[in-house]
Amino acid sequence: MKQLTEFHTDFISVAEMRRENGLPDETWRRLRKLGQAQFAQKGLPGKKDEDWKYTSLWHLSQQSFNHDVAQPGHVVVSDWQLLNDAYQLVIVDGHVDFTASSLSSLPDGVTVKPLSQSLEQAAPYLNQQIFLEKTGFNALNTMLMSEGVFIHVAAGVKLKKPIELLVVNSGVTEDLAVHLRNVVVLEESAQASFVEIYASKEGVTGLTDVITEVNLAASAELFHYKLQRESLAHFHVATMAAKQAESSQWHNHNISLGAQLARNDIHSDLLGERSHVTMNGLYLVDGQQHVDNHSRIDHTVPNTTSDELYKGVLDGQSHAVFNGKVMVYKDAQKTDANQANKNLLLSRGCEIDSKPEMEIYADDVKCGHGSAVGQIDESALFFLRARGLSETSARSLLTFAFAADVIQRVEDPAIRDAITRVIEQRLPRS
Amino acid sequence: MKMLEIKNLHATIDGKEILRGIDLTVNAGEVHAIMGPNGAGKSTLSNVLAGREGYDITKGEIIYKDENLLELAPEERAQRGVFLAFQYPVEIPGVSNIYLLKAALNAVRKYQGLDEVDAIDFLTLVRSKMELVKMDEQFLHRSVNEGFSGGEKKRNEILQMALLEPTLAILDETDSGLDIDALKVVAEGVNALRGEDRSIVMITHYQRLLDYIVPDFVHVLSEGRIVKSGDKNLAKELEKSGYSWAKEPVGLPA
Repeated sequence: MKQLTEFHTDFISVAEMRRENGLPDETWRRLRKLGQAQFAQKGLPGKKDEDWKYTSLWHLSQQSFNHDVAQPGHVVVSDWQLLNDAYQLVIVDGHVDFTASSLSSLPDGVTVKPLSQSLEQAAPYLNQQIFLEKTGFNALNTMLMSEGVFIHVAAGVKLKKPIELLVVNSGVTEDLAVHLRNVVVLEESAQASFVEIYASKEGVTGLTDVITEVNLAASAELFHYKLQRESLAHFHVATMAAKQAESSQWHNHNISLGAQLARNDIHSDLLGERSHVTMNGLYLVDGQQHVDNHSRIDHTVPNTTSDELYKGVLDGQSHAVFNGKVMVYKDAQKTDANQANKNLLLSRGCEIDSKPEMEIYADDVKCGHGSAVGQIDESALFFLRARGLSETSARSLLTFAFAADVIQRVEDPAIRDAITRVIEQRLPRS
Repeated sequence: MKMLEIKNLHATIDGKEILRGIDLTVNAGEVHAIMGPNGAGKSTLSNVLAGREGYDITKGEIIYKDENLLELAPEERAQRGVFLAFQYPVEIPGVSNIYLLKAALNAVRKYQGLDEVDAIDFLTLVRSKMELVKMDEQFLHRSVNEGFSGGEKKRNEILQMALLEPTLAILDETDSGLDIDALKVVAEGVNALRGEDRSIVMITHYQRLLDYIVPDFVHVLSEGRIVKSGDKNLAKELEKSGYSWAKEPVGLPA
């Protein structure tokens, strides 16, 4: 049995090496050092940490991870991509696959580059949306981040075609740990769609540790989609965090299908008036899967809005955690915040821990939250069977129907259809 | 040809006997009305015919077109042409009406060894059936029965029936909650389906429906048994005398 401290040392030696080799940029070296110091001190969160109460990192800590890739594997992009028509950056085994990527003919004012090629440009935006002290994973990512995508959209530019980031673990290197940092900056009134996909074939082992930092200037609008469909042996720990200036909008859609352990932290800081965030989530888990979604929305100024809907379908012995926190600051009058978590339990063995939270310090607000847990409606099931549908198809249809309103909230029809197809594949068919 | 034969059917729910020896034969082309007071077992009978779980069949059998109906799952019955129009049609948020109609039709076609229906043919077919029940096309794209009025739900049931063209249709209290105009529309839909190779069993509390869908036979169900059978005039008598007599073993009207 491995001690937690050994697990830490494994990672720190890699960080030492990464800092010394390469990286001419002083900002980066300093940041990594800070991350390392923090990680060495705090380590991974444990059960005593309220934010990790229902998610055990025991299995993760028992695993040894590889950080070096002799030769990145080859993947067929069409197996995993969501969209046929998108600017695409493909990262395989932690390394950019330039042949598979297509970043040509970007319009003026739009930058989409590998992080490793944008060190200087990205530096001012690093660790602005996350706090090193908050969790060991922020520190871990800071000391080890080695790749990712850097996106910058200039003021007033409205990008029509989505940007797709495809991150695949080919499985060539066993137990590969990949640490990624994505930076998305939208200047004033800019608009873009960004799709993050994390994938690996069944049986592939490893860890994806990723942080996406989003910076939205006034009136900027980002449609942000994340689809995680990694192997059931994989670990996935991710953060998406945004700072939002006045009248900016962040539409975040987070779909979690794979991994043995998947943890998402989604955070929006509503810093300017009339800013809005949508947090839309769907998780489908089965077998021994564990998924944990933690969200936080800070309404810091008056007249901001948030709308959060997370839905989950649990089968087998799976375990899901939802913890959503909405903070309404004292000055944040006229806040309009809505939060809901709904779960469909398909088996007796599954478990959901749902904890919607609101902390309200302003007195003139409209806030609502709720949580629901249910099962397949037996009378609907009988109705469908009495119309000739097999029990399996009827159950699948009702399960899909449960998830339908989350999918309907996806704005772009092409992305909505693509997500629908992926989810339909996950449902049992007759 | 015998379409349906129910022999000495006994059914219990939670140990309570609801059906206590039902005998009924329905031939192809016939329309039968089963009437009775509340609690007589009318809904239990329709549910047992369609295969809803929760009922124990303690005695008797149901033969449908030479097959033992009780051995078939609900979907197998539907695929073989048994259709139950629900008394309380279920709302299914997130499933569009058109999806349900198509899935149901394809399930029946698959059993019949036919290919899935072509998208354009399907739409043409559905439109013609919607005309029959005077339903607007917008209902196709709404979630099944969600936010439908009582009358719209019932019409939606008849739409499904018209599309699936069952050989045995069981209408469970299809008239309940309908105003007279909606009742006429529903009746027209049902009458359009009448034919030599189809049978209809209407289960109803009131005689009103039978003014529009005229049955060949009327049966009175009381306390789990058919206590009297006759032609359409029996329904008229019932309207005058009510059901109170039916609960008494003696003193049946002449």
